[in-house]
Amino acid sequence: MTVQEMLSSYIQGNTWDEMMVNNQVRPQYQPLFNALANMPVSEIAQKNRQASELFMNQGITFTVYSDNEGIERIFPFDIIPRIITSTEWEQIENGIKQRLKALNLFLKDIYHEQHILKDKIIPSWLIASCPHFTREVFGINVPHDLYVHISGIDLIRGEDGKFYVLEDNLRTPSGVSYMLENREVTKRIFPEMVTKSQVRMINNYPLLLHSILLSLSPRHVKTPNVVILTPGIFNSAYYEHTFLARQMGIQLVEGRDLVVNNHKVFMKTTGGLQQVDVIYRRVDDEFLDPITFKADSILGIPGLISAYRKGNVAIVNAVGTGVADDKAVYAYVPEMIKYYLNETPILPNVPTYSLIDPKNQEYVFKNINNMVIKGTNQSGGYGMLMGNNTNEEEVALFRKKVQENPREFIAQPIVKLSTVPCFIDGKIQARHVDLRPYALCGPSGIEIVPGGLTRVALKKDSLVVNSSQGGGSKDTWIID
Amino acid sequence: MLSRIADSLFWLNRYLERSEGMLRLMRTNYVLSLDKGPSDMNNWKPLLQIYSGLSANEQQQLQQSNQKVIGYLLMNADNANSFQMNLNRARENARGMQDHITKEVWEQVNHLYHIVNSKNTVEQLNGTDQLPTIEYLLKNCLLYTGIADSTMPRGMSWCFMNLGKYLERCLLTIELLDKYYANIDYNFESEKDILYWRSLLFSVSGYEFHLKNYRNTDTNFNVAHQIIFNEQFPYSIFYCLTRIKKYVETIIDENKVKDKNILIKEFGRIYSNVEFTDLDWIKKTGMSVYLQTSRYNLLQFTNTLSQTFFSYS
Repeated sequence: MTVQEMLSSYIQGNTWDEMMVNNQVRPQYQPLFNALANMPVSEIAQKNRQASELFMNQGITFTVYSDNEGIERIFPFDIIPRIITSTEWEQIENGIKQRLKALNLFLKDIYHEQHILKDKIIPSWLIASCPHFTREVFGINVPHDLYVHISGIDLIRGEDGKFYVLEDNLRTPSGVSYMLENREVTKRIFPEMVTKSQVRMINNYPLLLHSILLSLSPRHVKTPNVVILTPGIFNSAYYEHTFLARQMGIQLVEGRDLVVNNHKVFMKTTGGLQQVDVIYRRVDDEFLDPITFKADSILGIPGLISAYRKGNVAIVNAVGTGVADDKAVYAYVPEMIKYYLNETPILPNVPTYSLIDPKNQEYVFKNINNMVIKGTNQSGGYGMLMGNNTNEEEVALFRKKVQENPREFIAQPIVKLSTVPCFIDGKIQARHVDLRPYALCGPSGIEIVPGGLTRVALKKDSLVVNSSQGGGSKDTWIID
Repeated sequence: MLSRIADSLFWLNRYLERSEGMLRLMRTNYVLSLDKGPSDMNNWKPLLQIYSGLSANEQQQLQQSNQKVIGYLLMNADNANSFQMNLNRARENARGMQDHITKEVWEQVNHLYHIVNSKNTVEQLNGTDQLPTIEYLLKNCLLYTGIADSTMPRGMSWCFMNLGKYLERCLLTIELLDKYYANIDYNFESEKDILYWRSLLFSVSGYEFHLKNYRNTDTNFNVAHQIIFNEQFPYSIFYCLTRIKKYVETIIDENKVKDKNILIKEFGRIYSNVEFTDLDWIKKTGMSVYLQTSRYNLLQFTNTLSQTFFSYS
């Protein structure tokens, strides 16, 4: 593929492009650009096929059901890595650390003294009306006052090239296995490029996670029993659960493998019952314990919350963290940073309009073409309205929904996500991306492996990157 | 080890051993069906009896075309025991415990699953490529065994996997032997030569072994000896039981089982029923009774085993 060929198909919209500026290749992309320019298209296509096969053979797939038949699909992977410089990364890293520090303090506060409500920084009604504010865990002390151990905060890059926080995923964020597997696949298909570029290493993530999980054990024993709790093989993230269990060498359990006796949690083994100390759960709060939460859930363990309350088992992330990633509470994170840390936010929020205020409602619907309306407790790209790509009927429908239940929606101006090069239909094309770095909070501080999951909207001009809406992913390189 | 995992390991190998056995039987039958032979056992009857729940009438109808029988046994979704169903179940078990088997083992199970569920395979089976497809599948089943053997650590997982494998193999051997002897009314004096026994021996990879090791022409007697007592023949009942013995003992030792006496006694009875018996005794008391008791005891033992180690839900 010659330079002309590459550039001819590469059309940038009026947004921040991470590879090109003023028709020049940015320095961090130059080596990658040259390498691609020296490769025949057939070779790139061959590498593309090779990557798909690698994912398929390892069973890194999710199942799509149609006509009663399960079809195995791979999560689409684009072979061209996305590059972020170390200066950009430093700011991201500091920003996320600051944010998580504040969010952990907020969660401790909200489930204990609630100073932030008494000082009227956040209105009480907002928290009281949040479905993920879990009264059942009020007053429970958790090890080291840590609530969010594992997070995947979504960042986007606006037209100005600055990074913004789009949402905080503080419950059971997924995708970290894709971050790690993407890198392994890239190493296989572009071995020379990876070494030459001196890409920072990410594969110690499972080790970091394991040491944090061990450090949370309530029992002071030499080898605490740490387990991952999965909803089972039909969960779409099941591959990730097994991946993490294997990488950390810990048991992967389902609810039916565990039992609570005398406020302690045990697993049923071939040699009898064995006490469990730490549970990294990939099951949502409301399915954890049928006695406390949904009575008809068979995914959980009856009595788990009582064992948790007694401090006999650590649950990761803590129960009730959802209150902090409610999209209406998200708007107050900058205030939290100010209130708890007395600092100014390093990573700004995207401006967010609460729709409870009728004036805001009016403004938002007047400018609907530049707005996105999101459900406060929805994720995965469901339950939202992109104002730039809609029709009157849908707007009317949303207007009705918002008027009936203003607390359940927020609005944000549409941010034109930055674009990066992708290999699509045999050509290099620009597509919009976001970035989800994975941070780990332990007793000795916050660690973020240098990288993250770059999600890409594979449809031309689309701004929605969720895998359920036709998104794919890319390897993400942090280079010095 | 979690009881659920032990259960999955056990069944993963049972399903794969079952699938492999089926393919081998199928290959033998297919090849022999091309000759118009003297024997009435060169047909699909024993296979259909073991691997399908069809009535005698339906079996008769199906048998008229090789293609139909193979399609039914390999790929039919209505047939709960078809190869495809067994493999789907094997993979489901493997998926639920990927962290307990090696990456290589998982990838091979996954690969087999993708072969069976590919359009390509269906087309080949509908066309003229039936034998190559059966052989390709068989080779991949054997590859699974090899991969498991060279990559799995020799711990608890290995013991439960092999328990499943050899229990399944032992049951299939008993089943096959029973079918072939029932056909001659369990009469050792009936006139059957090696041509009759050939299909049974091919089905357990024991034809050449037989030719090398049994010189006289008392074939009815020799085949029974090879398949029940020969300790070098990997499909013999005795060989399977010897392997099961080893794994059961290790598992009982390492898990400090409370009611281990029941397990040990039950297995001891089965084992001594082969170790301290010979063909003359079987002839006297009846082959049919002997095989039936062995099968019954083995199934009973499997029940006790699962109550002891696998009860979790």
